[in-house]
Amino acid sequence: MLRRLLKDFQGDIIAVPGRLLALIFFIMLLLVPLVTNEPYILRTLIFANIFAIFAVSWDLLSGYTGQVNFGHALFFGVAAYTSALLNLKMGMPPWATIPIGALAAVVAGVVVCLPALRLRGPYLSLVTLAFPLILLGIIFTFTGFTGGEFGVSGLSRVSNSRVTDFYISFGVMLVSVMIMWKLTDAKSALVRTGIIFHAIREDEITARASGINTIRYKLLAFAVGGFFAGIAGAFHAHFMRIAGPSNLDLFLSFQAIIWTVFGGITSIYGPVVGVYIMYPLMEFLRVVPEIRMLIFAGIVVIILLFMPEGIAVFIRDKMEQTCPRCKLSNVWWRKTCRACGANLR
Amino acid sequence: MLERILINGLVQGGIYALLAIGFSLIFGVARMINLAHTSFYMLASYGIYTLTRYLGIPAIPAAAISLVLTTFIGLATYKLFIDRVREHHVTVMLITMAVAFVYQEVILMIFQGHYLAAPPFVSGFAQILGVRVSFQHLLTFGVVILVLVGVWALLSKTRLGIAIRAVAQDSEVANLMGINVSRILLITMSIAAGLSAVAGAVIAPTLVLEPYMWTHPLVMIMAIVVLGGLGSVKGSFIGAFVFGFVEVSVVFLAPELAFLKGAFALVVMVVILLFRPEGLFGIAFEEERL
Amino acid sequence: MRKRLVFSLIACLLALTILVPGCAKEAAQPKEPATPTIKIGIIGPMKFVQGQHHWFGAELARDEINAAGGIIVKGTKYLVELIKTDSNEMLSPTDAAAAMERLITVDKADFVIGGFRTEGVFPMQDVAMDYKKIFLGAGSATKELCMKVKENYNRYKYWFRVTPFSNVNLVNNSLLTLGTAGAIMKQGLGIQGKIKVAILAEQATWADAMVAAYQAYVPQKLGMDVVGAWRPSATATDVTAELSAIQASGAHIILTIISGPVGIPFARQLGELQIPLASVGINVESQKDGFMSATNNYGNFETTLNTYAKGVAITSKTNAFFEAFVKKHGQTPTYNAGTYDAIYVLKAAIERAGSLDSDAVVVELEKTDMETTAGRLVFMGKDTDTPHDVTYGPGYVTGIATQWQNGEMKAVWPLNWNNVTYPGTVQWQIPDRVIKAYKK
Repeated sequence: MLRRLLKDFQGDIIAVPGRLLALIFFIMLLLVPLVTNEPYILRTLIFANIFAIFAVSWDLLSGYTGQVNFGHALFFGVAAYTSALLNLKMGMPPWATIPIGALAAVVAGVVVCLPALRLRGPYLSLVTLAFPLILLGIIFTFTGFTGGEFGVSGLSRVSNSRVTDFYISFGVMLVSVMIMWKLTDAKSALVRTGIIFHAIREDEITARASGINTIRYKLLAFAVGGFFAGIAGAFHAHFMRIAGPSNLDLFLSFQAIIWTVFGGITSIYGPVVGVYIMYPLMEFLRVVPEIRMLIFAGIVVIILLFMPEGIAVFIRDKMEQTCPRCKLSNVWWRKTCRACGANLR
Repeated sequence: MLERILINGLVQGGIYALLAIGFSLIFGVARMINLAHTSFYMLASYGIYTLTRYLGIPAIPAAAISLVLTTFIGLATYKLFIDRVREHHVTVMLITMAVAFVYQEVILMIFQGHYLAAPPFVSGFAQILGVRVSFQHLLTFGVVILVLVGVWALLSKTRLGIAIRAVAQDSEVANLMGINVSRILLITMSIAAGLSAVAGAVIAPTLVLEPYMWTHPLVMIMAIVVLGGLGSVKGSFIGAFVFGFVEVSVVFLAPELAFLKGAFALVVMVVILLFRPEGLFGIAFEEERL
Repeated sequence: MRKRLVFSLIACLLALTILVPGCAKEAAQPKEPATPTIKIGIIGPMKFVQGQHHWFGAELARDEINAAGGIIVKGTKYLVELIKTDSNEMLSPTDAAAAMERLITVDKADFVIGGFRTEGVFPMQDVAMDYKKIFLGAGSATKELCMKVKENYNRYKYWFRVTPFSNVNLVNNSLLTLGTAGAIMKQGLGIQGKIKVAILAEQATWADAMVAAYQAYVPQKLGMDVVGAWRPSATATDVTAELSAIQASGAHIILTIISGPVGIPFARQLGELQIPLASVGINVESQKDGFMSATNNYGNFETTLNTYAKGVAITSKTNAFFEAFVKKHGQTPTYNAGTYDAIYVLKAAIERAGSLDSDAVVVELEKTDMETTAGRLVFMGKDTDTPHDVTYGPGYVTGIATQWQNGEMKAVWPLNWNNVTYPGTVQWQIPDRVIKAYKK
């Protein structure tokens, strides 16, 4: 059994440079607290973890099923407010409020999905854009309950130490991303969702003609995307100790899209890479505050123009080649496939 | 009360309509959602501000110069950034947004976050049915009508208009018929940027200039265009007035909830779309129909 | 060929992102001073007037203190070193908290002053308290920030507010100004019966309590009628509909509660449409120098609560500060420039404590009783609801009200209020447009 696992590990991870790189990266990340205790660095990484979940959940919903959501911050904000209010008004601890917050985001996902089922393409994108703005209106109407522009502040922390916070956020990120990766894996033998999501994006009518209940799967995509965005939002609220209107901001929705497209859309690992490059880079650019956002926007433009498939996919394509016969990934220097020996060039 | 709602609604609707027409046009012809549309309007406003305040040029020539400059910037934006990715809808949306962010940051660097004002073309106000309307708002309304008639005449009476409509209906067939599609797109884009700049020029004096001024109207005009039906200029025009009347009615009927006027308008949009998924006057294209 | 171009472009960009900050850092690094320094972080939205005035005020205090011999701690001379930090709080409070942590842990600031947008100040306050760093607020008026000190003294005792005074007292000042204006209008225009007041408040939590208070107190204390409350968004760009509705309601005076940019279109459209109503209250935008040009000169007669005005010597320090500020930057200071006072308050407390230790300085800060540019500053005690807040009232900090008269900002209140009159204060004027309408 163990030997079998080891062999799988060798074949599926070590031999594929992209996965090996990911593995090394995650191990290095795991060891960061041993090297430095600088709270500022840890904070940056914690936010990178949180936003990685957020960006991946957008990729699952919009990249895979093609339901391009312009108001993803809705899920983030709903979960942040729900968990904040539960924590503050009912005294629930974070380990309870975060999942409940995420479930509230699922409900929001289903609500958004109702019009989404009738709309397509740009109509859908623009309607989803409206939802966070409508919710903001509601928040500003019931200021006694929601705190209006002050938000809900003074939440309890996830843990009392920055290092523990880091490991918790890291663990949650790994598990969430793994689940989403499995759900969207088109080759998976376990679940069919991956291939169906692809089918819905590519041609919904054909998918329906093939006997797939596309409505059910779209609902599922909204619910799952909402759930994980909600996890990110609730975690963010507890780490920041405040949930406020900026959690529903247009800017946040767009950031999820930018991170994803920067890393590589429809790839799950793309948004993770995108966030881990972009977020620390933005922190680093604090030394030039005047042109920080300008550089950010400039990089986005250049990436979109020259690597429309994203930086992670771009690099992976440089490092890996797919065997034309058995579709297995190989290192770029191999001349023949490592499994079937077919000529790669 | 009723006459106040009517007149203020017409004024507000006119402002929205002026912005929405260009956006709608470029979507109808090129199927592009240009999120930088309102940033041209911002650039035009700042252009007028700079020309009048620093170079001492009177308001109307300043508006003309700024209009030309902004149209040129719009063209350059299209050539440099949009043209090469125009086949990918999501990429177009993102790149235009990033470009708008660039403009915003440049404005922020030059003018800082100060609130500024451009001088009006005409000052004073008129009294219509006992309601006071400033001349600048009346001018806006007049320009809207003018622009609408102009766009209609262009699209239906000229050879160029026929070519634009042909590209809008089916760009591949239009190409086969000998229409230079990319040139038509370029022309449409400059018309759209120009319209946005016109909006900036006439609305700017009634507004506060600030680097984030492009975001709010952008969301509203997108909602308007969706409501009216993407690509239908007539639909956008009517959608703009629907939004104008909804917003003004909220202010008059529920003064304590005046801040919700935008949210109310968006709710109206969502409800209408639930019953008419392609908007009021939208044309569902064969390949886009579900 | 094209690929190579792309690569070099990206490489250049990446190199730039690394080089530019590196160079900037080198350039910004001052030569190692011979005397030790006390590092004070100035944090605020540096691309906006609020943050800029945080910085300008602090700079002024630093230059003065360093020129006068620095801060003496137990016989050792320290110079003041300022660290400018852009919180980006207008866009993202997440950024603001990160900026605060960076300021404390990376730049190693000993004390922090600043903050503006409440949603950003809450997380910044938390971060500062985590590190037991003294954080002097110079922007947000929310009383909840000081209520935290009451709730959990040991954790939040490092928070003090230097400017402005809490939003609760703004109600009081607004009512007093309204009373003054109402009396002048009644007499000057011969209005029969009660004065009618329309409330125009931006939709924000800080304004909610004030609207409720006005609805109760305006009839009760001033004998005026409230005809209704209009709540536009703080960022609305057009309030013609609201103004049209208010005019239809038959009001005489608009009582404003506005901190956002909506204050500009409000004042401009009021003037442009010649709506025969006066307006008093709070309109933060009209505290700024650019107000008249931002309203195309229609902003005349706009009245607002304020902190500084030209030639109005609230204390012996005000004029010198005001002149120096105007001379250096060509702008009238807003209340955010109270960072100037904050540094002096801090200096005094450090010198009395004879230490840079936060706890020791907190004890001394609580004993502060000092003449600042805005009045006599005494922090409220632990037994009050809002400890470490600014004490308000005659003999302490009172604030002023200003009105734009012929393009100049004039102080119009307090005028003989509990024996308080600051030199340079003039009488409030009825707007021309109102007089014209009544003469017909």
